[in-house]
Amino acid sequence: MSVQTVLAPQAEKPVRPSFVRRYLPYLLIAPSVIMLLSLIAYPLLFALRSSLYFWNLQIAPQPLTFVGLANYVQALNAFDFRDALVNTLVLSVTGTAIEFAFGLAIALLLLKALPGMNVVRALLILPTTIAPIVVGFLFRYLYDPGGGLITWLLRVFGAPVPPMGLLGSPTTALAAVLFADVWQWTPFFAIVLYASLLSVPDEIIEAARLDRASPLTMLIRIKLPLIRRTAVIIAMLRFMQLFNTFDTVLVLTRGGPGTSTRTLGYSLYEQGLINFNIGLVSAMTWITVLIVNVIVALYVSFAFRNEEW
Amino acid sequence: MSVDTTGLSRRSLLKGVSGAALVGSSFGPLLAPSRARAQSSKLVRVLAVEDPFFFSMKAMIPDFEKETGVKVELESLSYDALQARLVSAFVAKTSDADVIAVDQMWLGQYLDNGWIISLNDFIAKDKDIDLADFIPEVLYSSNTWRGQIATLPVAAYAQGVMYRKDILEQFGIATPPTQTSEAWTWDAYLNALKSLDGKQFGGKPLFPTVVCGSQPSPIVHMFTQISASHGANWFKAFPTSPWNFEPQLTGPAWIKSVDIYRELYKLSPPEAINYVWFDAGTRFAKGDIGMFYWWTPYFYLIKNSGYMTGKKSDIMGKYAAAAMPKAAGVEQTISLGGWSLGVPSSSANQEAGYAFIKWATSKATQKKMALWPDLNYQFSDFARVSLYKDEEVKAIYPYLDVQYAMMKQGNGKVTRPPVPGYTALESVLGLTLNQLLTGAADPKVALETTNGLFTSILKGNLMIPYQKESFGDTLSEAKALISKLGKS
Repeated sequence: MSVQTVLAPQAEKPVRPSFVRRYLPYLLIAPSVIMLLSLIAYPLLFALRSSLYFWNLQIAPQPLTFVGLANYVQALNAFDFRDALVNTLVLSVTGTAIEFAFGLAIALLLLKALPGMNVVRALLILPTTIAPIVVGFLFRYLYDPGGGLITWLLRVFGAPVPPMGLLGSPTTALAAVLFADVWQWTPFFAIVLYASLLSVPDEIIEAARLDRASPLTMLIRIKLPLIRRTAVIIAMLRFMQLFNTFDTVLVLTRGGPGTSTRTLGYSLYEQGLINFNIGLVSAMTWITVLIVNVIVALYVSFAFRNEEW
Repeated sequence: MSVDTTGLSRRSLLKGVSGAALVGSSFGPLLAPSRARAQSSKLVRVLAVEDPFFFSMKAMIPDFEKETGVKVELESLSYDALQARLVSAFVAKTSDADVIAVDQMWLGQYLDNGWIISLNDFIAKDKDIDLADFIPEVLYSSNTWRGQIATLPVAAYAQGVMYRKDILEQFGIATPPTQTSEAWTWDAYLNALKSLDGKQFGGKPLFPTVVCGSQPSPIVHMFTQISASHGANWFKAFPTSPWNFEPQLTGPAWIKSVDIYRELYKLSPPEAINYVWFDAGTRFAKGDIGMFYWWTPYFYLIKNSGYMTGKKSDIMGKYAAAAMPKAAGVEQTISLGGWSLGVPSSSANQEAGYAFIKWATSKATQKKMALWPDLNYQFSDFARVSLYKDEEVKAIYPYLDVQYAMMKQGNGKVTRPPVPGYTALESVLGLTLNQLLTGAADPKVALETTNGLFTSILKGNLMIPYQKESFGDTLSEAKALISKLGKS
C-alpha cells in the first residue's frame, strides 16, 4: 500500500478591497436615500407625531397637549368628511376612467397617418403644461352664465343649463370641475398611450390582420394587453393626483355650492393653510394616505394578479 | 466587477450621512441671500396683500426711498397666500419681512403667539405720529389687542350702499339717505328692492340687487353686516370681560338676518351663489343691478369695468353711495375691515420697519395715495379723520362723508370677532349660509346645527371653557389707550 500525500493548494491570501471599492455603492445610493428620507419619510413621521397632539397655530405656536387619537376622531366626524370623501372618490374614479378612454381614442387616432398629426401631437402637450390654478380661472370664464363659451354652446345645443350656472348648481358643479380636469389631463394619457402603442411590434399586428381580426379585436386582444403595464401605471398616477385635487376646486367653487364639490384635498388645504390646525390636518393627511394606499394596493394586485410585479 | 460591502457598519453609515448633512448645512447660507440682506438697515422688506391700497402705496415708494435713503423691497400676495407665507415664516422662525400686511382677523393670533411686536413703545416715543388723528373705532377694530397697538391701519373699510340714481328715479323709488336714519331700515331696503323685481331697464332685464354667495369668507363678510345691524352676537361674552365663547347663533337676530339674506339672494342673479368679493362689485358695474351694499372701497372700484382695470365702467356718473340700512329699534353697528401694517418679531430691522409703517400711514402719504390718478383714482380708505375733511381729496372722492359716518358706527370686534380659531368658525358659518341660499332648510334648524358645530370646534380649540386671561376689549378701553400713548 502506498500512501500518496497530496498537498492542498495553499489558500490565497484574501485581498481586502480598497476603501473606495467598499464604500462606493453606499456613496452612490446615499443621495437617493437621504432625499427619500427627508422628502417622504420625515414629513410622514412628523405628521404622524403631530396628529397625536393638539396643535393649532391660531391658538398657540407649539403643540399644547397630547390628545391620542382625538384628531382622527374629529376628522372622521367632521361635518364635511363624508361628502368630501364621496366627491373625491367620484372625481378620482370617473376622472381616471374618462381621461383614459379619451386618451386611448386620441392615441389610436394619432397612430393613423393622417395629415396634420405632427401639429396635433405638439398641441396636445399644451394643456398639461398649464398650472391647474390657471386652468381653474380659464374655466371660470368659460362657465360664466352670462356669456361663457361652454354655457353658450350648451344652450345652442339645447342642453339645460341651471339658472345659477354650471358651477352654481349642486347637480352640475362637480361635473363642471371634472370636465376642466378632463380637458387638462386627457392629452397626458393620449401622449403616453401613443408612445406605448408605437412599441407594439408591427409583425404581430400584421399577423392579426392576416387572420382577419377586426380593429376592436386587435385593440382588446393585442394592443391593450401589450401596453397594459404602462396603462396601469399612468392610470394609477392620475388616480393619486385626482385624489388630491384642490387647486381647481379652490378657484372654481371653493368646495361649493354647499359641499357639492368639496374634496379631501380641499378640506386638507382649508384645515392646514386657512385654519392652521396642524394636529387635525396631520390626522387627515394620514387618513388620506391610508385610503389612497389601500385603493392603489388593491388596484395593483388586481391588475397584475397573474404575473410577477 | 464585484464589490465587497460587508465591512460597512451602521455606525460608518451614520457617520457618512452626518457628513453629508454637514456639507449641506455649510452651503445653507449661500441659499439664503435675502436673509443676509435683511441685516442691512438700508433695506426694508415689505410683504403686502394685493388690495387696492397696494397699488397706490407702491407708486409712492420712491418718495420714501428719496426721503430716507432706505431701499424698499415690496412684494404682494393674494390673501390666502399671504397668510400661508407669513405663518410658515413665523413657525420656521425665519425673517421673511420687516413690515407685513396684517388682516384684523389675524391680529390676536399673531400678537398672542409673539409673531409680531407691540408698537406701543415706538408710538409712545414718537412725537409726530398724531395718534389722535386716527379714527378710534378703526384702531379699536383693527389694531388693538389686549391693551397693545400692534399694527397701524394703511387702509380702513366700512360697509355702505351703492345705488343707481337713474334706475331708482325711473321707478319712483326714494333715494336712500347718506346718514343713518330710523326710517332707513332693512325692511325699507328690501321693499325698495322688491319694487324693482321683474323690471326691465334700458330694454334689458334688471336684477334688484346682488349678493356674495361664495363660501366661506365672502358670504360671511356680507351677511355679518346684517346680523351686526340686528344686534346678533357670536358668543355669550366677547369682547367684554370675562370672555365666554359659548356660541349664540340660535337667537332671533340670527334667524331674522338669515331670512333677509335669503330674500336678497332671491332678488340677485342666480349665479351670485358663487360670487366672491369683486364678483358682486363688477356685476354692479356691468349695469343690470339696481342697488347693493358692500365694502366702501367699492364706492370707487365700480367706476372700473372690471376689478382694478382702470377702464371706465358704463355706470360712471350714474350711481351714488348711501348709508347702510339699520334694524328698527337697534343701535346701528357697521362692519369694519381693512389692512394694517405690523413688524414681525423676527425682523432684524424693526426700527426701519416702524419708520416705513409711520410713513405709509401718515396723513401726507395717504393723501398722496388718494391723489394718485392711475387706475381711475382708487384709494380713499383712510383711517385718519383729517383726510375725510380735506377739500382737495373730497373733490375726487364724493362719498367721503358717507364713509366717515359708517366708520364712526363701526365695530369690527362684534361683527366678525377676531378670536383665535376664527377661520374654522367662519368655514362652518359660510357653508351653512351658502346651503341656506339654495336649499329649503329651516334657518332655525340650520343655525342650531351650526351652533353645535361651533361648540365642538371651540371646545376642540380649548376655547370653552376659556382658560387664558380675559381682557375688557371695548372701545372705551381702546380710546383710553390711544389717549395714553398719544400724550406720552
